[in-house]
Amino acid sequence: MQVRIRYFAALREAVGEAEEALDLPDGATVAQARGLLAERRPALAKLLPACAAAVNRGYAQAETPLSDGAELVFIPPLGGG
Amino acid sequence: MSDSQGQHGGGHVSDRYSRQTLFAGIGPEGQRRLASASVAIIGCGAMGSALANNLARAGIGRLRVVDRDFVEVNNLQRQTLYDEADAASATPKAVAAANRLRAVNSAVEIEPVVSDFTADNALDLLDGVDLALDGTDNFEARYLLNDACLKMGIPWIYSGVIAAYGVSMTVQPHATACLRCAFPERPLPGTTPTCDTAGILNGIVAAIGGVTSTEALKLLVGSEQLARGLFWMDLWENIAERIELPRQPDCPACGLGEYEYLDAALSEETATLCGRNAVQVRPLQRGGALDLAELGRRLAPLGEVATNEYLLRAKLDGYEVTVFPDARAIIKGTDEPSVARTVYARYIGS
Repeated sequence: MQVRIRYFAALREAVGEAEEALDLPDGATVAQARGLLAERRPALAKLLPACAAAVNRGYAQAETPLSDGAELVFIPPLGGG
Repeated sequence: MSDSQGQHGGGHVSDRYSRQTLFAGIGPEGQRRLASASVAIIGCGAMGSALANNLARAGIGRLRVVDRDFVEVNNLQRQTLYDEADAASATPKAVAAANRLRAVNSAVEIEPVVSDFTADNALDLLDGVDLALDGTDNFEARYLLNDACLKMGIPWIYSGVIAAYGVSMTVQPHATACLRCAFPERPLPGTTPTCDTAGILNGIVAAIGGVTSTEALKLLVGSEQLARGLFWMDLWENIAERIELPRQPDCPACGLGEYEYLDAALSEETATLCGRNAVQVRPLQRGGALDLAELGRRLAPLGEVATNEYLLRAKLDGYEVTVFPDARAIIKGTDEPSVARTVYARYIGS
């Protein structure tokens, strides 16, 4: 299956693009997607652990399963004020 | 404190707020609620300025403005309560904010507090308020604010801005998700961008300030239109979205009641200030108030020293050292905590 990954803020800057398609085995979870991205994109590895994840605009936990065509967004905590 | 019949600022209260009370979501009853409400704004840099400005103009009864810093020229691009005179005189932000806000709306009771927000004083600084707003620039303060508000049952709104991005999230204790439901562990210093590394546009401050201050109005008038979840936007990429965010039963703070940031003894003596090439040193062992005049006499032979009503400023050894009566100091010219501690020990004492 394929999910659509969208990047926001520091993640977008680290990756250099706003989104990408990611192929995953059927039934893969948010945690697996996170792990795979960290492996493929070393620039994300240190940012991803602090991020909240949302699937189809709803908060998702590590064990949340993904489905084909799902949208996965990682939202980093924003510190400035 | 105003009432609906009072006269002030050259006009009748009902005239003053007419464009706000005409809005059905507020109305005259909502305006009365705002006038009797009390709000704490923790941190008064860019976001705190935007929030305090909107709330004072909206006629909130009482604003407590807490900030540890003083005004500098490079704040003026986005910190809209301050001007060049404030920067030239190094006025503490809480004091400069109060001066400005009182000029804007003399009916609002403004309580400026020049202080760090710490586990020691958090409960006192939030005492008696209906709502707390996050104008801080660091996660240490936000995770503490989350704990303190959960413990006291006070709603608060997280606002974060950097570059052209921003987030806003309303926390109603034990009713909606809290900061740690969304971000369970506090990001460690150095792992997230700051104004120092990523810059900040003033438009995102106004945009998120508008979202957050409007949520504040909804909360204070008891509107059922409150936003749920985490709102985020990127003004440069033209994105504004909201994600649903349910409470997490295993959240350490609102789920399990572990307020580790509030319960922590003060363990960090230094804090690097956002965008400043400066480090705050906060001595853990405090005596009474520091005698700034006496310190000024002691430092005068060593460098240029100036004092005002609120602080002492000395140029020493290439650093600009600003000392407050509570013995805090801001050492400008380094972002290394160890260097700042050394400067503090050398000139102020350990």
